[in-house]
This record gives sequence, C-alpha cells and structure tokens, in this order.
Amino acid sequence: MSFISKTVYAAFQLGLILSLMVLNLPSISSAQEAPKKANVTFEEVPAKKSGIIWVHNNAHSTNRYLPETVGAGGAFFDYDNDGWMDIYLVNSGPSDFYTPTTPLKNALYHNNHDGTFSDVTDKAGVAGGTFGMGVAAADYDGDRWADLYITSYGRNILYHNNGNGTFTDVTDKAGVAAPGWSTCAVWFDYDNDGKLDLFVSSFVVYEKSLNILCTDETLSRRYYCVPRLFKPRSSLLFHNDGNGKFTDVSKESGIADSPGKSFGAVATDVNNDGLMDLFVANDTLPNFLFINKGDGKFEEVGLAAGVAFSDAGKPRSGMGVDAADYDGDGWQDLFVANIDREFFSLYHNQKDLIFTDEPDEIGTATQMLSGWGLRFFDYDNDSDPDLFLVNGHPDDFIEMRTTRVRYKEPLLMFENTGQTFRNVSAQSGIVFSKEFSGRGMAVGDFDNDGDLDVLISNNGEPPLLLRNEGGNRNNWLGLQLVTTKSNPAAVGAVITWQAGGVKRGRLKTAGGSYLSSHDPREILGIGSATKIDNVEIRWPSGKVDKLANPPINSYIKVIEGEGVSRGGGRPAN
Amino acid sequence: MKTPSLQQKLIRPLPLAIRVHSSYSLWHKYIVSFLLLLASAPIVSAQTSNTQERLENAATLIRENRIAEAEQQLNSILRIAPNEAVALNLLGTVRAQQGRLNEAENLLTRAIHVDPKFVPAHMNLAFLYMLKHAPEKTILELKEVINLEPGNAEANYKLARLLLSQGQIDEAINTIEKAKAEQPSFVALLPLLGEAYLRKSNAEKAEENYLLALAAQKDNADAILGLARVSQMRGDTKTALGYLSRARELAGDSPDLLYKLGVAALGLGVYDEAQSVLEQAVKLKPDEPAYFIALGATWLKKADVFTAEQAFRRALKLQPDNAQGQMYLGYVLYKQKKFGEAKGYFEKTIKTDSSVPESFYYLGLIVQEENEDERAIELFEKAVKMSPLFANAHVALGASYLKLKDYVRAQKELELGAKLNPDDSKAHYQLALLYARLKDQKRVQAEMQIIEKLKALNQSQKGQSDTFVITPATPNPR
Repeated sequence: MSFISKTVYAAFQLGLILSLMVLNLPSISSAQEAPKKANVTFEEVPAKKSGIIWVHNNAHSTNRYLPETVGAGGAFFDYDNDGWMDIYLVNSGPSDFYTPTTPLKNALYHNNHDGTFSDVTDKAGVAGGTFGMGVAAADYDGDRWADLYITSYGRNILYHNNGNGTFTDVTDKAGVAAPGWSTCAVWFDYDNDGKLDLFVSSFVVYEKSLNILCTDETLSRRYYCVPRLFKPRSSLLFHNDGNGKFTDVSKESGIADSPGKSFGAVATDVNNDGLMDLFVANDTLPNFLFINKGDGKFEEVGLAAGVAFSDAGKPRSGMGVDAADYDGDGWQDLFVANIDREFFSLYHNQKDLIFTDEPDEIGTATQMLSGWGLRFFDYDNDSDPDLFLVNGHPDDFIEMRTTRVRYKEPLLMFENTGQTFRNVSAQSGIVFSKEFSGRGMAVGDFDNDGDLDVLISNNGEPPLLLRNEGGNRNNWLGLQLVTTKSNPAAVGAVITWQAGGVKRGRLKTAGGSYLSSHDPREILGIGSATKIDNVEIRWPSGKVDKLANPPINSYIKVIEGEGVSRGGGRPAN
Repeated sequence: MKTPSLQQKLIRPLPLAIRVHSSYSLWHKYIVSFLLLLASAPIVSAQTSNTQERLENAATLIRENRIAEAEQQLNSILRIAPNEAVALNLLGTVRAQQGRLNEAENLLTRAIHVDPKFVPAHMNLAFLYMLKHAPEKTILELKEVINLEPGNAEANYKLARLLLSQGQIDEAINTIEKAKAEQPSFVALLPLLGEAYLRKSNAEKAEENYLLALAAQKDNADAILGLARVSQMRGDTKTALGYLSRARELAGDSPDLLYKLGVAALGLGVYDEAQSVLEQAVKLKPDEPAYFIALGATWLKKADVFTAEQAFRRALKLQPDNAQGQMYLGYVLYKQKKFGEAKGYFEKTIKTDSSVPESFYYLGLIVQEENEDERAIELFEKAVKMSPLFANAHVALGASYLKLKDYVRAQKELELGAKLNPDDSKAHYQLALLYARLKDQKRVQAEMQIIEKLKALNQSQKGQSDTFVITPATPNPR
C-alpha cells in the first residue's frame, strides 16, 4: 500500500522565495492536436559498425568485492565542439583489491559524423587509471570546452579540456579528488553565481580489509554483500570558486549532516523557487531530498516529503534517479529505481513539498527488476517526457537463489500517456527482448537526426549504443544553450514552447540516471505541428529570451541575452 | 408410531470423520447430501401407511437423484396434506439441492412450524443457513437441535466448530464440555476442545484434551497436530516438528490428512514441509479448492506471489465463488500492484460475504492507490466498525486522514493502530510522517527509533516475509 507516499505535508516555510522565479509551467491546452504516433524503435548499433570495441572490465573476483558490481557509467558530450556527440566510457582499474593483469582504460570515442567512432583516449589523455565508476561532463570553468569529472572507488579525476583535443588532470589543483568511494556526480549551480558547483555522491565506507564474507549454506560460495553491512558516508558538495579551484562546502551547506549510501543524484527544482534542489537515491538507507534554502544551505526533507522510504516505512535500495514534469502541471516529479521486489517509485509532486508514489504500470513491470540507469526524455518528439529504464541484478549468483530474478535483465521503455506511463517495450525494438547487466545510461542525439539515442554501460560487458529510429518522424527543434551570465550548462533554465496548440515547459535539470552524463542540448518535440509559434528561455540569471517562429527540424544555438545565434542553425542530419 | 424398519433404512449413522477443509463446493455437496439423509427422518405416527409408503418412496427417489419424480410425489402428498411435516422437510431438501435456497428455507420453516420438535427439519435448516452464509441463524438452529436432543453428537460438534470459527471461544468450550458429559465416548470433540483452549492460549488444557483424544485413538491426527501447536506455543519447536513428523507418517496417501498436516505446518512456519504435503494433497485430489488455497497461502509465506497467484487462480477455477480464494487472489494481485484486477476480486469477495473486514480493508488500500480518498476512508471505517481491534485498518484510516491533512483524526487513528499492534512498522512510519509534517522532530526521532528496532527484530526472525492479515484456509464448520 502506498498511503505513506500519498500523504500530505504542512506548507513548507521557505526563508527565501523568489517570486519572480515561481514557475507555473503551462500544461497541455485543451485545443491541442493529437500527437502523431511515431512508432519509435531503438536499434542496436553493433560494435563492428560503430567502432566502439571497448569492453567494460568489472574486475570480477571470487572475493566479490562490492565495487566490482556497481560500475560503470558513460557520457555523451562534445569534447571538440564540432557539434557531434562523442562518447566517454568508464572502466575499472587498479585498486587496493585489484591489480589488472593488463592495463585498463576508460575510453573516449570521437564521433566521426558518419555513425562511426574512433578511439582517441590516449591522444586526449583521459584513460583514467582509477577504479572508475561514473562520469559527469560539463564546462566547469566557462571556457566553452566541456570538461570531465570521473568518479571512482579511490581518487576521482577532474580532466580539464584544453580545447585542442587533449585534457589535463587538474584534480589536485581543483581540490576535488574526494577519496573514498564516489558514485554519481552532478554539475549544477546551487548558489546561482553563474559557476558550476559539483555534488558527488558517496557510497559506503569500504576498503579491501572491510570486505565481509557474505555467503549462504546452500551455495557455499561468496556473493556480493548487501550494502546494509557497510557504514554510510556523507556525500560532498564542492563550491566552484571560479579560479579553477573548488572549496568543499559539504559541512556548511548541510549536505554532510546526512550520511548515506548514495548512488543516483539529480539536481532539480522541486518547489519552483528558482534554486536547484537535490534528490539523491540511497541504497538500504532513506533517500535524500535536499532542499536548497538559498543561503548556501540545504535542508534534508525526504521523510516529510514522502520520498525517503517505501510505503511500509522501509528504506529501499535506491540506485538510479531522475526528475521531470511528466504530467505537465509545472512541477518537477521524481523517479527512483530500486532492487527487485521493492518496486520503483514515480513520485508525483503535490506542489507543497509532498510527493505521492504513483507508479501505475511501471510498478507491475518492475516488480522483479533492479534498476540503475534511467532517464525521462521525449523519445518520440510528441512533446512529453517518456521514460527509459536500464536494469540488471547486482548479484551474479542471484539465479541460484531464486527462480524469479535474473542477473541480466531487460530494458524497459514507457511512453507518457499524459497522466501516466504505458509499457511499450515490446513494440520498441528487438533489443527489449534481450537481457543485459545494465548499469549506466546516457541519452544523446549522436547522429544529429533530431531524436534522442541511448548509450548503456553494461557491467563486465560491451556497452550498448541504441539508435532511435522514428523519433524524428515527429517534428522538433534542437537547442544548444550558450550562457553569458548563467552557469555554462544552463542548469536551471526553463524552456517553454508552443506549437500546434500545445504549450510545454521543461526545466533543464542536471545529473539524473546513474553514473552517466547526457547530451547537453535540448530537443523540443512538437508532434505533427509544422511550425513552432514561440520559444521562451528563462535563464538561471533571470534573463528571458523569446524566439518567434524558430525553424523546425534543426538545431539552433541560443545565446543568453542575445537570442538565436546568427548562423547558429544546424540542419537535421 | 415410528416405523423402525423404515428408520433403519433411511437414517444412517452420522459420519464421525469430520472433514476439515473449507471447500465450498464440497461443503455444498456435503450439506446437500446431508440434507438428503435427514430428509428421510422419522415419519410421524399420524401418517397413514399409504402416506408413509409414498414418503419412503420419495426419499428413495431423492437418494437416487430422481428429483423430478420425487418432487412430483411430494407435491401430490402436500396437495392432500399441506401440513405434512416430513413431506415439507423432504421437499425442502429437494429445493436446496436445486439451489432454490429461499424456497427451501420456507419449506423447512413450515415443517418446523407444523412440528416444532421435528429435529431433522431443524438440522436441515441449520445446514441451509450454512449454505446461505448465515452463521448466527445456523447457531440458533443447532442450539435448537441440542435443546431437543442434548446427545446429538453431530449438532454439538458442528455448533462447537461454528462457535470456534466465529471467535466465540468460551461458548464453544461450554458446548463441548456439556456434550462431553452427555457423550463421553465422542472422541472427535476432544481435539476440538483442545483447539478451543489453544485459542485461549491455555496450553495445559489444550494438551490435556489432545492427549485424551490420543489415548482413545492413538492415531488421531487432529490430536497429534494439536500437540504440535501446543509445543510450538511453548517454544519447543523440536517437539512440534516431531509431532508433525508423526502426523506425516499417519497421513499416508490421505489427501485430507495431508491437507491438515499442511495447514498445521503452515501455522508452525515450516513452509517447505507445508508446501511438500500440500502439493501431495493437490496431486491426490486436484479438484479441491481448499487445498490450492492453503498451497497458495504457503507460497505467500515463502514470498513467491507469482506461484501463490497461480494456486489461487486454480482454486477459483474450481470454485469461482470461493470468497476466501477471491480474497487471497485479490491480495496477491494487490501485492503486485495489479490494482484493477485486485479490486474486482475484493468487490466480488464483499458481494459473496460482506462479513469479512479484511475485504473492506484491502479494497480501501486499492482505492486509496487510485486517489479515491473519501471512498478509502469509508471502506476503512467499515472495516474498523466490523472489527474495532483491526490495527492495520486503523493505520490505513490514519494514513488517509494524513493525506487529506486532517492531522487530528490522523493522529488518533495512527496512535490507536500503533497501540493495537506496537510491532507494526507501518504505523510508526505513518506517525513519523505525521510528526515530520507537524515539525515535531523529537517525536519523529522516537518513531524512527522504534522502526529501527523493529527492523532489527524482523531481520532476526527469518521467514516472516508476508504480512497478509487473513489466516490461511481456516477450516469451516461441518
């Protein structure tokens, strides 16, 4: 039962409410046209075709060290500013429990603009060399070149993009090594000073000597321990000082007051006050909802908001998360994936810092699955966010202990029907009939054809690149947001657009999914409409740009305070 | 004048081997056939020999399932003698067999009106009320039988079982003690008395009666299984398992005994054993819904809702109107968040038997999921009205009020729920939510600490993976 999640909450008194920033985004008008059914499928792009031959090595051992089973992530990002999404993949590496027999590398694949990729890892100098977990790409120093932050079991790495195809490890100078076990990282501007700060999820206190013997009588062999057995750690918040350096503000911001076992994290604005909040999934501990109080402090309200526990008051195994306004009511809703039998949660925002868990069809479909990477995105360009889920059980012995749960699990695709989601996996391509040890998942339009493709990182297996076939049968407009005052990733920008009688709004969130980083561009789906009436971008700085009659089926560059960049359009591929 | 020869031919001894399964279909068949037995009750002296012969003939026809002919015969008698109690009684059994229960009730009531001391008609009426799910009326009729025939073993036995199933434990004990005094050799009463004392948590008296039953019948499986429960109550699992093992030896290929054994093993938390014997029972008798229900309940306890669902579906295929099966199936569907289908089954359950508070409770949970808060409150209120000590329903009601921001009512219901069942972490979680929303951090912490303690306790108690509030496959009174 879910009365817990459907409970109400006394009005939360915010010290600082920026009335200008209160965003009541428009919902679909009654005069809307029925969106054209795009019949979208996702088609596997084989390594032979893409050239992505890199394989994740999970360092699998008989000792079942926990970091082996939780990695890894990947990113779509454009490291060379050629307008095409490149791919970064994170690998395991040396650690206190693992010495690779052959050197392991992360991989940077350059997009060759023809559906193929070339491995430029060594040239770029981004091979890693840690026991990698996840990646977050963003231009932290505002030089217009996307940088990379790699989380690890061990030391994290900040790679500064030199703008010439190479990167420099600036971790120590920046002060963001964050030793321990980090999982997800999120670049966002929590204090609206125009610079990207960094949130880093911390998982448990772990080292080789703490590896507990987890086994059962029937198998008489080790399996991966439940994280419950390890001590929690506080996540980290780094303030971007603007000089290439960061200051650890975890304590003063209040983030350090809540030790967790954190995986997925997403920066979003759940109370529409113009300040980015954080929703963080915890494994075997209550999830956190950190509300940004606007004075550099966060208050954790997960319990009162109804997003911390299961309906029965039990903490679950939260892994992947995301946020979006799925029902177009102008308020950000939340999603968290859990382990099998715990059900995934779709938390509907009740607008007063209270959420109700309303997973509907997602609940039945995910009952026996364990979810990691996930993302709300408009896969069919009908203008509303759909939902893609990547699954896989963390224990490779699970099938010996139960017949109902599998180690490798299927992907799931849910189409937004307006107020809820419909499982369309069976109609979305043959890849949905296969099973994977899925973990990270990034979304991006790697072929620039106007619909969003998917990159999945599988644990101990090759990654999976899925091409969206048919999403661009509906019309669209792609935006590349370029800031002049706001943070370089435009996190917190609100985009509204109207086409064919339909008004839509979207908040540019940061993070989301699991260990992964997404195409920073925004594709605005307009269904079968042949014209976009207007687009408005409300930047985090408060500036507003309005675009009248923008082109469709192409990417345009929008510069904060200037509108569409002259010659910034890029036709659909 | 009684006609001894006729009586001997028509009234057989009452079956003492009491079946414990709750199958409605078999139960129905059983009652109807029992009605037929009683249909050929003593024929009163005022009857002419011709009428006696015709009544005897009608009884024979009923026995041979030649219902139309029997009906014709009885109607012709009643045309001449409309107040012929035996004919009314016989025709009542015919109507019952035809499923025309209201007409049957009318005929049997008329028979009793004509002859208030006509025991078979009272007994038949009691069975008819069982068919009509009217336990209170059944109890009244059985009491009337016992009033007329204090030594009527079957009536005593059935009354005691019914009282037990209705939770009227003290009255059940009184009934059995009285019956024991009337018929000390009626061994079947002893395990029942043991059961009654077990329900009163009186292990000593329960054991005493089970041992008496064993002394009289060394292979009395009910007594052995009862002793297993006594041992379990005392925390002596080893002895309990010993009794189970002994019962298993006795069970052999008897599906009924295997079923009883399975139910006992389920009660003892020995789920693998329960599964094994119930699967054997199902194999031996695949048309018994109660077996599938017990098997499904076992799977539920083993946290396999999918296999449980299959078992409940099998039960309902055999007997679509089985209220317990409907409720269980509704529950497993609810657990899988298949709310639409689950809702249908709970609604059916309520239609079949509106006396079960759990049906209202679970239906309430589903409509709550569907954001029908007012209706959910109505259903929870019904459940707590029917069963004021129903802790889960109070908690659910409190949660609904909490959702509607009625904090005063929410607090009242949640605190009551937590008081009724202090080990319910849901109640404490809801209270924590309430206090969090009231900004009472101290009480939030207190509730969360309780939840932590309960979590630690649950982790140390393996095997309790399901919290369905309905007890599995409770044997119905026979």
